[in-house]
Amino acid sequence: MHLSSVRAELVEARSRPSTGSGQVALVAALALALAAAPASAQTAEERLDELEARITRLEDLNAIERLQKTYGYFVDKGQWTQLSELFTDDATLEIGGKGLFLGKGRVLEYMQTAFGPDGSKPGLLANHMQFQPIPDVSADGTTGWVRSRAYVMSNAGWGLPLYENAYEKGEDGIWRISRLSGPFTMYTSWEGWGKNALNNTWPDKFDPPPDLPPTTVYLTYPAYYIVPFHYPNPVTGEAFVPDKGEVGAYHRPPGTAEQAESLKVGRLADGTQPIAEPPKD
Amino acid sequence: MSAFRMALGAALALSATVVPLCGMAQSTDSRLADYRERVDRLEDKDAIENLQAYFGYYFDKGLWDETADLFSAGGSFEYGQRGVYIGQERIRRALLLFGPEGLGKGYLNNHMMLQPIITVAPDGRTAMGRWQGMVQLAEPGANGVWGVGIYENEFVKERGVWKIAKLHFYVTALGEYDAGFMRGAQMMEGPSALFPPDRAPSEVYRAYPAAYIPPFSFDHPVTGQPLKDIPQPADDVVGRP
Repeated sequence: MHLSSVRAELVEARSRPSTGSGQVALVAALALALAAAPASAQTAEERLDELEARITRLEDLNAIERLQKTYGYFVDKGQWTQLSELFTDDATLEIGGKGLFLGKGRVLEYMQTAFGPDGSKPGLLANHMQFQPIPDVSADGTTGWVRSRAYVMSNAGWGLPLYENAYEKGEDGIWRISRLSGPFTMYTSWEGWGKNALNNTWPDKFDPPPDLPPTTVYLTYPAYYIVPFHYPNPVTGEAFVPDKGEVGAYHRPPGTAEQAESLKVGRLADGTQPIAEPPKD
Repeated sequence: MSAFRMALGAALALSATVVPLCGMAQSTDSRLADYRERVDRLEDKDAIENLQAYFGYYFDKGLWDETADLFSAGGSFEYGQRGVYIGQERIRRALLLFGPEGLGKGYLNNHMMLQPIITVAPDGRTAMGRWQGMVQLAEPGANGVWGVGIYENEFVKERGVWKIAKLHFYVTALGEYDAGFMRGAQMMEGPSALFPPDRAPSEVYRAYPAAYIPPFSFDHPVTGQPLKDIPQPADDVVGRP
Protein backbone atom coordinates (compact mmCIF):
# COMPACT_ATOMS: atom_id res chain seq x y z
CA MET A 1 0.00 0.00 0.00
CA HIS A 2 1.33 3.36 -0.98
CA LEU A 3 2.06 5.83 1.79
CA SER A 4 -0.32 8.48 0.46
CA SER A 5 -3.24 6.06 0.31
CA VAL A 6 -2.70 5.20 3.97
CA ARG A 7 -2.81 8.89 4.68
CA ALA A 8 -6.06 9.30 2.78
CA GLU A 9 -7.59 6.32 4.55
CA LEU A 10 -6.70 7.68 7.98
CA VAL A 11 -8.29 10.98 7.16
CA GLU A 12 -11.41 9.24 5.95
CA ALA A 13 -11.50 6.92 8.94
CA ARG A 14 -11.21 9.76 11.40
CA SER A 15 -14.06 11.66 9.83
CA ARG A 16 -16.70 8.89 10.01
CA PRO A 17 -17.97 6.45 12.62
CA SER A 18 -15.15 3.96 12.83
CA THR A 19 -16.53 0.45 12.52
CA GLY A 20 -16.21 -2.27 9.92
CA SER A 21 -13.63 -3.70 7.65
CA GLY A 22 -12.03 -0.45 6.61
CA GLN A 23 -10.70 -0.12 10.10
CA VAL A 24 -9.23 -3.60 10.12
CA ALA A 25 -7.59 -2.98 6.76
CA LEU A 26 -6.19 0.28 8.05
CA VAL A 27 -4.72 -1.31 11.16
CA ALA A 28 -3.17 -4.03 9.01
CA ALA A 29 -1.74 -1.45 6.67
CA LEU A 30 -0.28 0.49 9.55
CA ALA A 31 1.28 -2.61 11.01
CA LEU A 32 2.98 -3.26 7.69
CA ALA A 33 4.11 0.28 7.08
CA LEU A 34 5.71 1.61 10.23
CA ALA A 35 6.75 4.78 8.49
CA ALA A 36 3.13 5.50 7.73
CA ALA A 37 2.30 6.48 11.27
CA PRO A 38 3.97 9.91 11.39
CA ALA A 39 2.85 10.57 7.82
CA SER A 40 -0.75 9.82 8.80
CA ALA A 41 -0.39 12.06 11.80
CA GLN A 42 0.76 14.85 9.51
CA THR A 43 -2.40 14.64 7.47
CA ALA A 44 -4.66 15.17 10.44
CA GLU A 45 -2.30 17.96 11.44
CA GLU A 46 -2.65 19.48 8.00
CA ARG A 47 -6.40 19.67 8.39
CA LEU A 48 -5.96 21.33 11.74
CA ASP A 49 -3.36 23.66 10.25
CA GLU A 50 -5.86 24.72 7.63
CA LEU A 51 -8.51 25.33 10.27
CA GLU A 52 -6.05 27.35 12.31
CA ALA A 53 -5.11 29.44 9.28
CA ARG A 54 -8.76 30.29 8.69
CA ILE A 55 -9.34 31.25 12.32
CA THR A 56 -6.15 33.29 12.36
CA ARG A 57 -7.24 35.10 9.22
CA LEU A 58 -10.54 36.11 10.85
CA GLU A 59 -8.66 37.31 13.93
CA ASP A 60 -6.22 39.23 11.74
CA LEU A 61 -9.04 40.98 9.84
CA ASN A 62 -10.55 41.96 13.20
CA ALA A 63 -7.21 43.19 14.51
CA ILE A 64 -6.70 45.37 11.44
CA GLU A 65 -10.18 46.89 11.75
CA ARG A 66 -9.58 47.47 15.45
CA LEU A 67 -6.36 49.37 14.67
CA GLN A 68 -8.15 51.63 12.22
CA LYS A 69 -11.02 52.33 14.65
CA THR A 70 -8.57 53.04 17.44
CA TYR A 71 -6.74 55.47 15.17
CA GLY A 72 -10.07 57.27 14.71
CA TYR A 73 -10.76 57.52 18.45
CA PHE A 74 -7.27 58.93 19.05
CA VAL A 75 -7.73 61.53 16.31
CA ASP A 76 -11.07 62.60 17.84
CA LYS A 77 -9.54 63.63 21.15
CA GLY A 78 -5.91 64.30 20.23
CA GLN A 79 -4.12 61.28 21.73
CA TRP A 80 -1.15 61.84 19.43
CA THR A 81 1.42 59.85 21.41
CA GLN A 82 -0.85 56.82 21.62
CA LEU A 83 -1.77 57.34 17.96
CA SER A 84 1.87 57.27 16.85
CA GLU A 85 2.35 54.02 18.77
CA LEU A 86 -0.09 52.35 16.37
CA PHE A 87 2.50 52.73 13.59
CA THR A 88 5.55 50.68 12.57
CA ASP A 89 8.92 52.41 13.01
CA ASP A 90 9.23 52.93 9.24
CA ALA A 91 5.56 53.73 8.55
CA THR A 92 4.47 56.45 6.14
CA LEU A 93 1.67 58.94 6.67
CA GLU A 94 -0.05 60.99 4.00
CA ILE A 95 -3.20 62.99 4.71
CA GLY A 96 -5.00 65.01 2.08
CA GLY A 97 -2.51 66.69 -0.24
CA LYS A 98 0.02 67.43 2.48
CA GLY A 99 2.78 65.10 1.30
CA LEU A 100 4.51 62.11 2.88
CA PHE A 101 5.86 61.85 6.42
CA LEU A 102 8.35 59.05 6.99
CA GLY A 103 8.64 57.13 10.24
CA LYS A 104 6.77 56.87 13.53
CA GLY A 105 8.64 59.86 14.97
CA ARG A 106 7.53 62.12 12.14
CA VAL A 107 3.93 60.92 12.49
CA LEU A 108 3.99 62.18 16.07
CA GLU A 109 5.72 65.44 15.13
CA TYR A 110 3.25 66.10 12.35
CA MET A 111 0.22 65.53 14.57
CA GLN A 112 1.53 67.59 17.47
CA THR A 113 2.69 70.46 15.26
CA ALA A 114 -0.31 70.61 12.95
CA PHE A 115 -3.03 70.00 15.59
CA GLY A 116 -1.45 71.01 18.91
CA PRO A 117 -0.18 69.08 21.91
CA ASP A 118 -1.75 65.85 23.21
CA GLY A 119 -5.24 66.17 24.62
CA SER A 120 -8.66 67.49 23.65
CA LYS A 121 -9.18 71.24 23.41
CA PRO A 122 -12.24 73.17 24.63
CA GLY A 123 -14.18 74.58 21.69
CA LEU A 124 -12.74 72.01 19.30
CA LEU A 125 -14.78 69.15 17.90
CA ALA A 126 -12.95 67.02 15.33
CA ASN A 127 -14.60 63.60 15.33
CA HIS A 128 -13.34 61.29 12.58
CA MET A 129 -16.05 58.64 12.68
CA GLN A 130 -14.65 55.46 11.14
CA PHE A 131 -16.80 53.06 9.16
CA GLN A 132 -17.30 50.87 6.06
CA PRO A 133 -14.00 48.98 6.32
CA ILE A 134 -12.93 46.45 3.69
CA PRO A 135 -10.01 44.61 5.30
CA ASP A 136 -7.80 42.07 3.54
CA VAL A 137 -4.80 39.98 4.58
CA SER A 138 -2.01 38.60 2.40
CA ALA A 139 -1.76 34.83 1.90
CA ASP A 140 1.21 34.63 4.27
CA GLY A 141 -0.75 36.54 6.92
CA THR A 142 1.84 39.25 7.54
CA THR A 143 0.51 42.16 5.45
CA GLY A 144 -2.93 43.69 5.60
CA TRP A 145 -4.90 46.41 3.87
CA VAL A 146 -8.03 48.39 4.58
CA ARG A 147 -10.16 50.61 2.44
CA SER A 148 -12.40 52.55 4.77
CA ARG A 149 -13.73 56.01 5.34
CA ALA A 150 -14.28 58.61 7.98
CA TYR A 151 -17.10 61.11 8.25
CA VAL A 152 -15.66 64.16 9.94
CA MET A 153 -18.07 66.03 12.21
CA SER A 154 -16.30 69.14 13.44
CA ASN A 155 -17.19 72.48 14.93
CA ALA A 156 -16.13 74.04 11.60
CA GLY A 157 -18.14 71.76 9.33
CA TRP A 158 -17.99 68.40 7.60
CA GLY A 159 -15.30 66.35 5.91
CA LEU A 160 -14.85 63.08 4.06
CA PRO A 161 -11.46 61.42 4.06
CA LEU A 162 -11.05 58.02 2.47
CA TYR A 163 -8.40 55.56 3.62
CA GLU A 164 -6.32 53.04 1.70
CA ASN A 165 -3.98 51.83 4.41
CA ALA A 166 -1.45 49.04 4.83
CA TYR A 167 -0.66 47.07 7.99
CA GLU A 168 2.11 44.70 9.06
CA LYS A 169 2.11 41.88 11.55
CA GLY A 170 5.35 42.03 13.50
CA GLU A 171 7.40 39.07 14.69
CA ASP A 172 5.73 39.66 18.05
CA GLY A 173 2.39 38.80 16.41
CA ILE A 174 1.07 42.36 16.78
CA TRP A 175 -0.44 44.29 13.88
CA ARG A 176 0.66 47.88 13.26
CA ILE A 177 -0.14 50.54 10.66
CA SER A 178 2.63 50.60 8.06
CA ARG A 179 1.04 53.09 5.66
CA LEU A 180 -1.71 55.55 6.39
CA SER A 181 -3.04 57.18 3.28
CA GLY A 182 -6.02 59.47 3.73
CA PRO A 183 -6.90 61.32 0.55
CA PHE A 184 -9.74 63.81 0.91
CA THR A 185 -13.01 63.50 -0.95
CA MET A 186 -14.86 66.59 0.31
CA TYR A 187 -14.47 69.23 3.01
CA THR A 188 -16.97 71.99 3.69
CA SER A 189 -17.93 74.58 6.28
CA TRP A 190 -21.17 74.44 8.26
CA GLU A 191 -22.90 75.96 5.22
CA GLY A 192 -22.73 72.52 3.60
CA TRP A 193 -21.25 71.24 0.35
CA GLY A 194 -24.06 72.74 -1.68
CA LYS A 195 -22.70 76.19 -0.93
CA ASN A 196 -19.11 75.75 0.11
CA ALA A 197 -16.26 73.40 -0.79
CA LEU A 198 -12.77 73.68 0.61
CA ASN A 199 -9.85 72.99 -1.65
CA ASN A 200 -7.52 70.11 -0.95
CA THR A 201 -4.66 70.75 1.46
CA TRP A 202 -1.22 71.17 -0.04
CA PRO A 203 2.36 70.83 1.19
CA ASP A 204 3.53 74.45 1.44
CA LYS A 205 0.60 75.72 3.51
CA PHE A 206 1.34 74.27 6.93
CA ASP A 207 4.01 73.11 9.36
CA PRO A 208 5.91 70.86 9.56
CA PRO A 209 6.96 70.36 5.92
CA PRO A 210 6.65 66.79 4.60
CA ASP A 211 9.65 64.55 3.85
CA LEU A 212 8.40 63.86 0.33
CA PRO A 213 5.87 65.51 -1.97
CA PRO A 214 2.37 64.02 -2.34
CA THR A 215 2.25 60.62 -4.04
CA THR A 216 -0.46 61.89 -6.34
CA VAL A 217 -2.03 65.20 -7.10
CA TYR A 218 -5.78 65.64 -7.13
CA LEU A 219 -8.48 68.07 -6.14
CA THR A 220 -11.34 67.52 -3.73
CA TYR A 221 -15.04 68.02 -4.40
CA PRO A 222 -16.37 69.52 -6.67
CA ALA A 223 -13.46 67.92 -8.53
CA TYR A 224 -13.46 64.16 -8.59
CA TYR A 225 -10.76 61.62 -7.80
CA ILE A 226 -10.97 57.82 -7.68
CA VAL A 227 -8.62 56.47 -5.03
CA PRO A 228 -7.15 53.19 -6.40
CA PHE A 229 -8.63 50.04 -4.83
CA HIS A 230 -6.32 47.55 -3.10
CA TYR A 231 -8.65 44.69 -4.11
CA PRO A 232 -10.27 43.39 -7.29
CA ASN A 233 -14.00 43.41 -7.85
CA PRO A 234 -15.22 40.75 -5.39
CA VAL A 235 -17.65 39.20 -7.89
CA THR A 236 -15.78 39.29 -11.19
CA GLY A 237 -12.31 39.07 -9.67
CA GLU A 238 -11.17 41.73 -12.13
CA ALA A 239 -8.93 44.54 -10.95
CA PHE A 240 -10.18 48.04 -11.71
CA VAL A 241 -7.42 49.66 -13.70
CA PRO A 242 -8.07 53.32 -14.34
CA ASP A 243 -6.61 54.64 -17.55
CA LYS A 244 -4.30 57.60 -17.25
CA GLY A 245 -7.16 59.95 -17.96
CA GLU A 246 -9.05 58.66 -14.95
CA VAL A 247 -6.25 59.14 -12.46
CA GLY A 248 -6.15 62.42 -10.63
CA ALA A 249 -8.56 65.28 -10.66
CA TYR A 250 -11.85 65.59 -12.46
CA HIS A 251 -14.09 68.53 -12.82
CA ARG A 252 -17.00 66.15 -13.42
CA PRO A 253 -17.66 62.41 -13.16
CA PRO A 254 -16.24 60.15 -15.88
CA GLY A 255 -18.27 59.79 -19.03
CA THR A 256 -19.52 63.36 -19.12
CA ALA A 257 -18.52 65.87 -21.79
CA GLU A 258 -17.23 68.24 -19.12
CA GLN A 259 -14.94 65.55 -17.78
CA ALA A 260 -13.63 64.73 -21.26
CA GLU A 261 -12.89 68.43 -21.72
CA SER A 262 -11.07 68.58 -18.39
CA LEU A 263 -8.67 65.87 -19.54
CA LYS A 264 -7.17 68.32 -22.03
CA VAL A 265 -6.64 71.14 -19.59
CA GLY A 266 -3.45 71.54 -17.62
CA ARG A 267 -2.78 67.88 -16.98
CA LEU A 268 0.53 66.26 -16.17
CA ALA A 269 1.94 63.24 -17.99
CA ASP A 270 0.42 60.81 -15.46
CA GLY A 271 -3.03 62.27 -15.96
CA THR A 272 -3.12 64.24 -12.69
CA GLN A 273 -3.59 67.96 -12.41
CA PRO A 274 -1.28 70.36 -10.62
CA ILE A 275 -2.56 71.88 -7.44
CA ALA A 276 -3.54 75.47 -7.98
CA GLU A 277 -5.00 78.28 -5.97
CA PRO A 278 -8.52 77.61 -4.75
CA PRO A 279 -11.23 78.75 -7.16
CA LYS A 280 -12.01 82.44 -6.75
CA ASP A 281 -15.75 81.88 -7.02
CA MET B 1 -11.51 6.85 23.70
CA SER B 2 -13.18 5.23 20.70
CA ALA B 3 -12.82 1.63 19.65
CA PHE B 4 -11.04 2.81 16.54
CA ARG B 5 -8.41 4.64 18.50
CA MET B 6 -7.85 1.65 20.76
CA ALA B 7 -7.35 -0.59 17.75
CA LEU B 8 -5.04 1.92 16.21
CA GLY B 9 -3.08 2.20 19.42
CA ALA B 10 -2.78 -1.57 19.68
CA ALA B 11 -1.43 -1.80 16.14
CA LEU B 12 1.05 0.93 16.83
CA ALA B 13 2.16 -0.55 20.12
CA LEU B 14 4.18 -2.89 17.91
CA SER B 15 5.99 -0.02 16.32
CA ALA B 16 8.48 2.51 17.59
CA THR B 17 6.20 5.39 16.55
CA VAL B 18 3.71 4.81 19.35
CA VAL B 19 4.79 7.73 21.46
CA PRO B 20 4.59 10.53 18.90
CA LEU B 21 1.27 9.26 17.56
CA CYS B 22 -0.35 9.08 20.98
CA GLY B 23 1.04 12.50 21.58
CA MET B 24 -0.59 13.61 18.34
CA ALA B 25 -3.98 12.25 19.43
CA GLN B 26 -3.83 14.33 22.59
CA SER B 27 -2.62 17.42 20.88
CA THR B 28 -5.38 17.11 18.29
CA ASP B 29 -7.89 17.38 21.10
CA SER B 30 -6.12 20.30 22.68
CA ARG B 31 -5.81 22.04 19.32
CA LEU B 32 -9.52 21.53 18.66
CA ALA B 33 -10.32 22.87 22.12
CA ASP B 34 -8.18 25.92 21.44
CA TYR B 35 -9.83 26.56 18.07
CA ARG B 36 -13.31 26.09 19.48
CA GLU B 37 -12.52 28.74 22.05
CA ARG B 38 -11.15 31.14 19.45
CA VAL B 39 -14.23 30.66 17.25
CA ASP B 40 -16.43 31.17 20.34
CA ARG B 41 -14.75 34.53 20.98
CA LEU B 42 -15.18 35.57 17.32
CA GLU B 43 -18.87 34.66 17.49
CA ASP B 44 -19.25 36.48 20.82
CA LYS B 45 -17.78 39.64 19.28
CA ASP B 46 -20.20 39.44 16.34
CA ALA B 47 -23.17 38.78 18.63
CA ILE B 48 -22.34 41.85 20.74
CA GLU B 49 -21.84 44.04 17.69
CA ASN B 50 -25.28 42.95 16.50
CA LEU B 51 -26.84 43.44 19.95
CA GLN B 52 -25.78 47.08 19.96
CA ALA B 53 -27.14 47.45 16.42
CA TYR B 54 -30.48 45.93 17.53
CA PHE B 55 -30.53 48.43 20.39
CA GLY B 56 -29.98 51.29 17.95
CA TYR B 57 -32.72 50.23 15.54
CA TYR B 58 -35.29 49.80 18.36
CA PHE B 59 -34.26 52.99 20.18
CA ASP B 60 -34.46 55.01 16.94
CA LYS B 61 -38.15 54.24 16.56
CA GLY B 62 -39.26 54.49 20.18
CA LEU B 63 -39.87 50.73 20.50
CA TRP B 64 -39.25 50.94 24.22
CA ASP B 65 -40.41 47.42 25.12
CA GLU B 66 -38.13 45.89 22.54
CA THR B 67 -35.31 48.15 23.71
CA ALA B 68 -35.71 47.33 27.41
CA ASP B 69 -35.88 43.60 26.67
CA LEU B 70 -32.25 43.72 25.47
CA PHE B 71 -31.04 44.47 29.01
CA SER B 72 -30.20 41.92 31.69
CA ALA B 73 -32.59 41.92 34.67
CA GLY B 74 -30.22 44.08 36.72
CA GLY B 75 -28.90 46.06 33.77
CA SER B 76 -28.37 49.82 33.86
CA PHE B 77 -29.03 52.63 31.41
CA GLU B 78 -27.37 56.04 31.46
CA TYR B 79 -27.71 58.70 28.76
CA GLY B 80 -25.69 61.93 29.00
CA GLN B 81 -26.42 63.67 32.31
CA ARG B 82 -29.85 62.10 32.92
CA GLY B 83 -28.55 59.80 35.66
CA VAL B 84 -28.59 56.01 35.96
CA TYR B 85 -31.70 53.83 35.73
CA ILE B 86 -31.24 50.34 37.15
CA GLY B 87 -33.23 47.25 36.24
CA GLN B 88 -35.22 46.35 33.17
CA GLU B 89 -38.56 47.73 34.40
CA ARG B 90 -37.08 51.09 35.46
CA ILE B 91 -35.36 51.34 32.07
CA ARG B 92 -38.62 50.53 30.27
CA ARG B 93 -40.26 53.60 31.86
CA ALA B 94 -37.22 55.85 31.64
CA LEU B 95 -37.17 55.39 27.87
CA LEU B 96 -40.47 57.29 27.70
CA LEU B 97 -38.43 60.41 28.49
CA PHE B 98 -37.16 60.17 24.89
CA GLY B 99 -40.66 60.32 23.37
CA PRO B 100 -43.92 58.39 23.30
CA GLU B 101 -43.98 54.65 22.53
CA GLY B 102 -43.45 54.35 18.78
CA LEU B 103 -42.49 58.06 18.66
CA GLY B 104 -44.81 59.83 16.22
CA LYS B 105 -45.05 62.46 13.55
CA GLY B 106 -42.30 65.05 13.71
CA TYR B 107 -39.92 62.92 15.78
CA LEU B 108 -36.49 61.81 14.68
CA ASN B 109 -34.43 59.83 17.17
CA ASN B 110 -31.63 58.35 15.06
CA HIS B 111 -28.70 56.92 16.98
CA MET B 112 -26.19 55.43 14.56
CA MET B 113 -23.79 52.85 15.94
CA LEU B 114 -20.35 53.13 14.36
CA GLN B 115 -16.77 52.08 15.03
CA PRO B 116 -17.23 49.23 17.54
CA ILE B 117 -14.25 48.05 19.56
CA ILE B 118 -15.33 44.97 21.50
CA THR B 119 -13.31 43.17 24.15
CA VAL B 120 -14.66 39.79 25.23
CA ALA B 121 -13.40 38.46 28.57
CA PRO B 122 -11.26 35.31 28.24
CA ASP B 123 -13.99 33.21 29.88
CA GLY B 124 -16.56 34.44 27.34
CA ARG B 125 -19.09 35.48 30.01
CA THR B 126 -18.74 39.26 29.93
CA ALA B 127 -17.59 41.86 27.42
CA MET B 128 -17.07 45.58 26.98
CA GLY B 129 -17.57 47.70 23.90
CA ARG B 130 -16.97 51.24 22.69
CA TRP B 131 -18.99 52.77 19.87
CA GLN B 132 -19.07 56.14 18.16
CA GLY B 133 -22.67 57.36 18.29
CA MET B 134 -23.80 59.76 15.62
CA VAL B 135 -27.15 61.33 16.48
CA GLN B 136 -29.90 63.07 14.50
CA LEU B 137 -32.83 64.38 16.54
CA ALA B 138 -36.07 66.22 15.91
CA GLU B 139 -39.19 66.93 17.93
CA PRO B 140 -42.47 68.45 16.77
CA GLY B 141 -42.16 72.22 16.69
CA ALA B 142 -38.40 72.32 17.16
CA ASN B 143 -35.52 72.56 14.72
CA GLY B 144 -33.37 69.50 14.03
CA VAL B 145 -30.34 68.67 16.15
CA TRP B 146 -27.01 67.06 15.32
CA GLY B 147 -25.29 65.14 18.05
CA VAL B 148 -22.41 62.81 18.72
CA GLY B 149 -21.10 60.81 21.63
CA ILE B 150 -19.42 57.66 22.83
CA TYR B 151 -20.97 54.45 24.12
CA GLU B 152 -18.95 52.55 26.70
CA ASN B 153 -21.07 49.52 27.41
CA GLU B 154 -20.85 46.24 29.28
CA PHE B 155 -22.44 42.96 28.28
CA VAL B 156 -23.21 39.68 29.98
CA LYS B 157 -23.93 36.26 28.52
CA GLU B 158 -26.87 34.62 30.28
CA ARG B 159 -27.77 31.06 29.26
CA GLY B 160 -25.92 31.53 25.99
CA VAL B 161 -27.60 34.85 25.13
CA TRP B 162 -25.74 38.17 25.23
CA LYS B 163 -27.55 41.00 27.03
CA ILE B 164 -26.73 44.60 27.82
CA ALA B 165 -25.51 44.80 31.43
CA LYS B 166 -24.64 48.49 31.34
CA LEU B 167 -25.32 51.06 28.65
CA HIS B 168 -23.61 54.41 29.10
CA PHE B 169 -23.90 56.93 26.29
CA TYR B 170 -21.57 59.86 26.88
CA VAL B 171 -23.10 62.62 24.77
CA THR B 172 -20.15 64.84 23.78
CA ALA B 173 -21.79 67.40 21.46
CA LEU B 174 -25.28 68.61 20.58
CA GLY B 175 -25.85 71.35 18.06
CA GLU B 176 -28.72 73.03 16.30
CA TYR B 177 -29.06 71.84 12.70
CA ASP B 178 -28.71 75.17 10.89
CA ALA B 179 -26.41 77.04 13.25
CA GLY B 180 -24.03 74.18 13.90
CA PHE B 181 -21.96 73.43 16.99
CA MET B 182 -20.09 76.73 17.19
CA ARG B 183 -23.15 79.00 17.14
CA GLY B 184 -25.85 76.56 18.19
CA ALA B 185 -24.35 74.25 20.83
CA GLN B 186 -27.00 72.81 23.16
CA MET B 187 -26.74 71.57 26.72
CA MET B 188 -27.56 68.04 27.76
CA GLU B 189 -30.75 67.27 29.66
CA GLY B 190 -30.27 66.78 33.39
CA PRO B 191 -32.00 64.18 35.62
CA SER B 192 -35.77 64.10 35.13
CA ALA B 193 -37.97 65.56 37.88
CA LEU B 194 -40.94 63.52 36.61
CA PHE B 195 -39.18 60.17 36.76
CA PRO B 196 -35.95 60.63 38.69
CA PRO B 197 -33.08 58.22 38.11
CA ASP B 198 -31.91 55.64 40.65
CA ARG B 199 -28.48 57.22 40.84
CA ALA B 200 -26.94 60.56 39.98
CA PRO B 201 -24.84 60.69 36.78
CA SER B 202 -21.81 58.46 37.25
CA GLU B 203 -19.68 61.12 35.59
CA VAL B 204 -20.33 64.86 35.79
CA TYR B 205 -19.14 66.60 32.62
CA ARG B 206 -20.25 69.08 30.00
CA ALA B 207 -20.75 68.47 26.29
CA TYR B 208 -19.24 70.75 23.60
CA PRO B 209 -17.75 73.38 23.87
CA ALA B 210 -16.13 71.47 26.75
CA ALA B 211 -13.79 68.73 25.56
CA TYR B 212 -14.50 65.80 27.87
CA ILE B 213 -12.89 62.49 26.83
CA PRO B 214 -15.09 59.46 27.58
CA PRO B 215 -12.72 56.96 29.26
CA PHE B 216 -11.48 54.10 27.10
CA SER B 217 -12.39 50.57 28.27
CA PHE B 218 -9.93 48.85 25.95
CA ASP B 219 -6.16 48.65 26.11
CA HIS B 220 -3.85 50.10 23.46
CA PRO B 221 -3.87 47.52 20.63
CA VAL B 222 -0.09 47.72 20.10
CA THR B 223 1.50 48.59 23.46
CA GLY B 224 -1.13 46.79 25.55
CA GLN B 225 -1.11 49.74 27.96
CA PRO B 226 -4.42 50.68 29.61
CA LEU B 227 -6.03 53.86 28.23
CA LYS B 228 -8.18 54.49 31.32
CA ASP B 229 -6.09 57.33 32.69
CA ILE B 230 -5.87 59.68 29.74
CA PRO B 231 -5.89 63.17 31.30
CA GLN B 232 -9.08 65.21 31.01
CA PRO B 233 -8.93 68.85 29.96
CA ALA B 234 -9.60 71.42 32.66
CA ASP B 235 -13.23 72.44 33.20
CA ASP B 236 -13.87 75.29 35.63
CA VAL B 237 -17.64 74.73 35.80
CA VAL B 238 -17.26 71.08 36.74
CA GLY B 239 -14.31 72.08 38.93
CA ARG B 240 -11.66 69.94 37.26
CA PRO B 241 -8.17 71.46 37.30
